[in-house]
Amino acid sequence: MPMSRRALAAAAVTALVLPLSACGSSDGGGGATADASGKVEGDITFETWNLRANFKDYFEGLIADFEKKYPGTHVKWIDQPAEGYADKISADAAGGTLPDVVNVSPDLAAPLAKAGLALDLDKAAAKYRSEYLPGAWAGHQVPGMTGTYAFPWYLNTGPLFYNKTLFAQAGLDAAKPPRTYDELFADALQLAHKSGGKVATLANVPTIEDFGRYGSSLMNKAGTGFAFNDAKGIELLTKYKELYDAKALDPQVLTATPESTGKKFLTGAVAMNPGSALDLDHFKKQAPSLYKNIGITDQITSTGHVNMYVMGLMVNSRTKRAPAAVAFAHYVTDAEHQMSFAKKVAIFPSTAGSLDDPYFTKEDGTDETRVRVAAAKSLKNAVNYTPVLFSEQMKTALRNEVAKALQGKQSPKEALDNAVKACDLLLQQQG
Amino acid sequence: MSTAGTPAAQPPAAQPPAAQPSAARPPAARTRRSRLTDENGRRVPVWELVLRYALLLAVLALTVGPFLWQLSTSLKGPTEDIFSSPPKFLPGHPTLHNYERVADTIPVWDYALNSLKVAAANVVTNCVGSALAGYALARLRYRGRGATTLVFVLAMLVPAEGIIIAQFTTMRELGLNNTLVGVVLPGAVAALNVLLMRNAFRNLPYEVEEAAYVDGANVWQRFWRIALPSVRGTLAVVAIFAFMGAWDDFLWPLIVLSDPSRFTLTIGLNYLHGTFAGDERLVAAGTVIAVAPLIALFACLQRFFFRGVGEGAVKG
Amino acid sequence: MPPTRSTPAVPRTRPARPARSTVRRPARLAGRRPARLPVSRVRRQLPTSPWLFAAPGLLVTGVFILYPFLSTVANAFTDRRTLVPGRFVGLANFRELLHDDMFWIALRNSVLYIAGVVPALVILPLLLALLVRKNIPGIAFFRSAFYTPVVASIVVVGLIWVWLLDERGLVNALLQTVGLDRVGFLSDQWLLLISAMTVTVWKGLGYYMIVYLAALANVPRELHEAAAVDGAGAVRRFLTVTVPAVRSTMVLVAALSSVAAFKVFSEVYLMAGPSGGPAGEDTTLVMLVQRTGTGLSGRVGYASALSLVVFVVTVVLMLLVLRADRKEES
Repeated sequence: MPMSRRALAAAAVTALVLPLSACGSSDGGGGATADASGKVEGDITFETWNLRANFKDYFEGLIADFEKKYPGTHVKWIDQPAEGYADKISADAAGGTLPDVVNVSPDLAAPLAKAGLALDLDKAAAKYRSEYLPGAWAGHQVPGMTGTYAFPWYLNTGPLFYNKTLFAQAGLDAAKPPRTYDELFADALQLAHKSGGKVATLANVPTIEDFGRYGSSLMNKAGTGFAFNDAKGIELLTKYKELYDAKALDPQVLTATPESTGKKFLTGAVAMNPGSALDLDHFKKQAPSLYKNIGITDQITSTGHVNMYVMGLMVNSRTKRAPAAVAFAHYVTDAEHQMSFAKKVAIFPSTAGSLDDPYFTKEDGTDETRVRVAAAKSLKNAVNYTPVLFSEQMKTALRNEVAKALQGKQSPKEALDNAVKACDLLLQQQG
Repeated sequence: MSTAGTPAAQPPAAQPPAAQPSAARPPAARTRRSRLTDENGRRVPVWELVLRYALLLAVLALTVGPFLWQLSTSLKGPTEDIFSSPPKFLPGHPTLHNYERVADTIPVWDYALNSLKVAAANVVTNCVGSALAGYALARLRYRGRGATTLVFVLAMLVPAEGIIIAQFTTMRELGLNNTLVGVVLPGAVAALNVLLMRNAFRNLPYEVEEAAYVDGANVWQRFWRIALPSVRGTLAVVAIFAFMGAWDDFLWPLIVLSDPSRFTLTIGLNYLHGTFAGDERLVAAGTVIAVAPLIALFACLQRFFFRGVGEGAVKG
Repeated sequence: MPPTRSTPAVPRTRPARPARSTVRRPARLAGRRPARLPVSRVRRQLPTSPWLFAAPGLLVTGVFILYPFLSTVANAFTDRRTLVPGRFVGLANFRELLHDDMFWIALRNSVLYIAGVVPALVILPLLLALLVRKNIPGIAFFRSAFYTPVVASIVVVGLIWVWLLDERGLVNALLQTVGLDRVGFLSDQWLLLISAMTVTVWKGLGYYMIVYLAALANVPRELHEAAAVDGAGAVRRFLTVTVPAVRSTMVLVAALSSVAAFKVFSEVYLMAGPSGGPAGEDTTLVMLVQRTGTGLSGRVGYASALSLVVFVVTVVLMLLVLRADRKEES
């Protein structure tokens, strides 16, 4: 039992110093990039973002089929819960424990690509490029870099939902929802006016994608600086300021989150809410009495292009099993499997030609089909407005400046100038 | 306080005064009046009793009311509106269906078992580690005692949010990422618990140990046979804190664990928020599942717990 | 008091009730000196045992708390980001801090948080402890029930309170039924901060109530009796007997709650949203650490500098309180 104090101290020092020296070696950037040619074999890990609860059978079937097609492979599926996904990926990327194939959105892929952790698919998987919609393939390119860093996976876009009862109460024609921004703003003011400020129309402040959809150019051509403080940007924010002053925006709009805006719509506190095909099912379950009063109209845009969200599958550039990882990422995102996934849940495939499938073109009179057909049609020329380099920190900066403008603490122009300045600084710091 | 002479302890699951309609209360109180005396042995006047119960019930509504709402939401059926305004309190058609659905959606028992393992390990390591260290700090004289105390005080003040990635890197270097051991280790001997135990030991009268010392007991024997049994209450406090902390933690287990089969309950329940279909009823059922064991544990241990604080565990 | 009810279980260390307060105090005072006598002899017997006792705790704390914190300290002087190793930049992060509006907003809010929460947490739980102190039927149930908010997870608590305080939530519905206007608990910068403080107080009530119950158990009954005989009323007895008797506990509660209040994160994050309320005006220091430092583009260096500031301020706070305590003791 007796142990000299010095020995104990030495042990403690060793325990403290060992990890320190090892820590320095986990650098980001550069490094050897995996070679994707060769035999498809070995064990790989596949990380998704909150898909297990609802699609366990689908993914387990998919993996079993892949392993059958390529004997000698084994795929381990890791599904992460809704919250903390970016934290989880950050820790794994920093610690060198990133899985082989990772479910990413463009804003997650960009910093990983910059750190040299994402495989350049223009080099490693160029032969598959033609299988995808060009816009979707380009979705995971990063300004200032030459490659493409993830396979496009599912897309989503959606209509604008509105509460017919509230429209009718304000003397608006519930059958004629707004189709342009001007109509939207006019209807919103009328809703607020007629209800004495009790009924708001929207529960969210304009985000970067709203500026894009309104026609602001967002970034300069070279992708080196932001430009949403242009005339269009200022115009949009000025309009929102009018709405805010007239109480056409929900009183809690400045602290809203996507979840809270959805709830506002469900409780009938706001008259309109942008959503997706997925929400229809949600409405039916959560607020059955509201469902019959829900109207559906197209997303409003002044550029002719609606906004879409892109999901991708990134291959870890440090993977030891590059051929298997690339093959699997392609397998999951190929036309056949995207199609079968799209039939399970209301999302849209990013593979060329898939959207022409009768499933996405033939109406059968139900709301679900109507929304699906309209969305599929609009997706053919949809744009992912959110710049891939727009980080969480930038979103917060923009959000806070916009809030100050709505509160009247600064003019819309000052607000956007400040936001651009802050975002440019953050962009520079990203390197 | 009349209980000094009465047999120990009324049952922890007390009579349910909260459930009694207010009209029934005064007579009930009156029948017991003869036994009700204040700390000076005098009778408590009826008006004071009524006032006390009224205040107690008011605070009860404030502290427990919000949880009842969550419970109510989890019992609402699929056809009920849960976002109606004004909100409805009682489920129209109470059902346990949502709980079944939680179990169908995620392997809730597996996750609960993992949480239980982590929480149990955390309880054991914290009780053992902080009792030992607390004893050293309170009762043993050695060079470096001041420095040791300082280490624990500083550790208590370190902002946890700032060090999580560094903790993960350390864990990976030790090869313990993606293990339940890795989940337990950083909180295995929490500094706050060490300081709680230190205070508890310091408040013990010295005479008791001195007697044992004269009888020839060595330091381990005195620790194990005399000091430790006297602070059982504080150990219960530490156990509850350790269990709660481990059971509730989200971000750290999420970052350390990669393998879904090892996930703990808080991570698992987060799946219910759903990328594609969140359902408030499921989320509510999930939170009830997560909170219920804590409340049950507390109800069971509360007698020890209140004794623990009586020992001066938490006070300076 | 509950502790005395369980007394029979450990008779040796718990003398009969009336004697307790008188025995205990001298024991504590005397404890400091006699300590030397037996223990110094023990050291000769088993020289390393004090370290063996402390070893598990020290090892865990050293490796998993202090060592990672050292790397935070080191990072504070670099421009490190989540995926990019940093370069040494000297005091640049700290200079930037001084010119960062958000830092000053966050510092203001964290200080306000202490000012709002600490007095409430020092006084209300004491009153609550006095309320549940008396053994009337069902009191064990009430005590346990009052402790539930402490046990419940903060995320659940946050969700529930957001629902209650919403523009159309229960509280506003109640206000309207009594003819008052709706209040924007979750939309006004100051009301949001106050709402979050309310939740902190609500969640802390039960915890500090127990701390006070413990302290009240040590108040010598004779004092109360004497005061009662003198004909002092309840309020007077509270001020002249109870408060002075639990004063050191009040200092401890003030210390613990001010450190916790200064590091507040969850309550404000859940109620004011991730961006910290309207225009970020409700951001607290730890929220700012979290916001700047996490995610794939997180500025780890800058966030570490912030963490360091938070740490130093908490240490100073703790020292101040300890000094106040010592002054009072002497």
